[in-house]
Amino acid sequence: MSEAIKGFDPIKLMREARDSGLDAWAKLMLRLTGSHEYQRVQGMISKPTLLAIALYRKAAESAMSEVLAQLNMPSREDVLALSTRLTHIEMAIDDLGAGLEQLRRSVGGARPQRTSNRERDGGSETRGVSTPEA
Amino acid sequence: MATPEKIEPGLLDRVSTMVENLVKVTTTKAPIGKTPRQAIWTLNKATLYRYTPVKPPEERHRVPLLLIFALMNKSSILDLRPGNSFVEYMVNKGYDLYLLDWGVPGPEDAHLALEDYVLEYIPRAVRKLKQVSGSDTFNLLGWCIGAMLSTLYASLRGHSEGLKSLILLTAPLDFTDKEQISLARMTEERYFDVDRVLQAFGNMPAGLIDYGAKMLKPVENFVGGYVRLLDNLDNSKVVDSWHAMNTWVNDAIPLAGGAYRQFIVDFYRGNKLMNGTLAIRGENVDLNNLRASLLNVIAEDDHITPPCQSARLLDKVGSPDKQELRVPGGHIGVMAGSGASKGTWPKVESWIAARSD
Repeated sequence: MSEAIKGFDPIKLMREARDSGLDAWAKLMLRLTGSHEYQRVQGMISKPTLLAIALYRKAAESAMSEVLAQLNMPSREDVLALSTRLTHIEMAIDDLGAGLEQLRRSVGGARPQRTSNRERDGGSETRGVSTPEA
Repeated sequence: MATPEKIEPGLLDRVSTMVENLVKVTTTKAPIGKTPRQAIWTLNKATLYRYTPVKPPEERHRVPLLLIFALMNKSSILDLRPGNSFVEYMVNKGYDLYLLDWGVPGPEDAHLALEDYVLEYIPRAVRKLKQVSGSDTFNLLGWCIGAMLSTLYASLRGHSEGLKSLILLTAPLDFTDKEQISLARMTEERYFDVDRVLQAFGNMPAGLIDYGAKMLKPVENFVGGYVRLLDNLDNSKVVDSWHAMNTWVNDAIPLAGGAYRQFIVDFYRGNKLMNGTLAIRGENVDLNNLRASLLNVIAEDDHITPPCQSARLLDKVGSPDKQELRVPGGHIGVMAGSGASKGTWPKVESWIAARSD
C-alpha cells in the first residue's frame, strides 16, 4: 500500500467539508437575520401572535376574576398587590434592622449574635437568614 | 465482518465513553455554582451571598468585592465549575467575596423597574455587605446588564456609599452606533412593539430572550455547539465543559417587564445614559458623578455587546483613576471560556488587588 493511500483519512475530509459548509451557512444566516427585511418579516409575524396572546390572557383573567369573586376568593390582582406589599414590608424591616444596628453601634453596645461564623471561616461575623441555598 | 480480535484496541472503551457522555449531556444538568457560600440577606427574590473565605483574615484583602450579574441569566456563570470558576479563583486569591443574585422574577414582579434594582436592592445589599464585612468601602464588579446597573448605582450612590472601585465587564451603555449593535436593530420601534410583548406576557419571557440572543448567530448557536460536542464526545474533559456551559445557557430567566421596557425604550432606542438625559426616579444620571476607580473590560469579539457599546465610557466618567482593558473573546467566553483563567481573570484580579487594601 502506498504512503498516499495510508495517509488518506476520509473522516477528516468529511469533517473539513462539513465545517466549510457550516461556515458558509453561518455567514449567509448572519446576513439574513441581520437584515432589515428579516426584522420586518419577524415583526409582521409576531404582532398578530402577540395580540392574540394578549387578548386571550385578558379574557382568561377576566373570566377567572369573576369565578374567584363568586367563590369569595382573592383575585390575581389582589395576590399581586399583596406580594408588592410584602416586599415593601420586607424593605421596612430591613431598614429598621439597619437603623437599630447603627444605633447600637453609636451607643457602643455589644451586638447580640444570632449565628456567628467567625470560628468557622475565621472572618467577620455573618448573620444567617433562613433562605435555603440556591 | 470484523471479529473481536481484529477490533482496534481501546475502541470499545472509546465507544462506551461516548455513549456515557451522550447520555449525561442529554439527561442531566451539570452541577454548577458549587463554591461554598452563605445567604446573608434577602429581599423579595434577591439574595446576597457571602462566599466562605479560604484564607485567614490576615491574608485577605481588606476591601470586600461585590459581584452583580445580569437580570436575565443566572449568576452561576461566575461560578461555573471547580477549576473554571471566577468566584473560586477570587476566593483563593483572598477576597472577601459577595454575590447579589437577583433570583427569578414572577408575574408579581412585572412592575420592577431599574429604579427598584438601583435604588432599593443594591443600596440595601451594600449596607448589609458593609455591616457583615466591617468595611466602610467596597469594590463592585458588574457583568453585562449587571454592569449597566452597577454604572447607574455608581453614578447615583457610589460616592456616598463608599464605592472604591468599579469593574465593568461587557457593559451595554452606549447605543449610538445602532448598525453595529444587532440587538438594537432587532428591537427598533418599527419592527418590535415592546408594549405588546409585555401586554402578552407581563415579564419578558426567558425563551424569547434566549431566542433573540441565539438568533444573533443562529448557526453557531443552534448547530455549531452540538457539532463541537459530537466531535469531542470521547473527550470527557471537553464534554464536561460543554455540559456545564449548556446547562447555564439553557437556564435563562425572565426579565421583569418594567426593567425590560426601560432597556428597550431608554437605552436601545433613546441612548439616554450617554446623552445625559436618563433620569432614575427623578434623579438625573450623570456619568461625571462616577468618581470611583474604573476598569472597563471590553471583549473584542463580543457580538451581544460589541466594543462600541462602552468604548466611549472613559471619556464620560469623572473617575480620576480609569482604565480600559481589551481582551480577546466573546460576551460570555471572556470570563467563562477555557482561556479566561489565564487571560481575563489575572488581569482583572491584579487591577482589583491594587485597590483592595
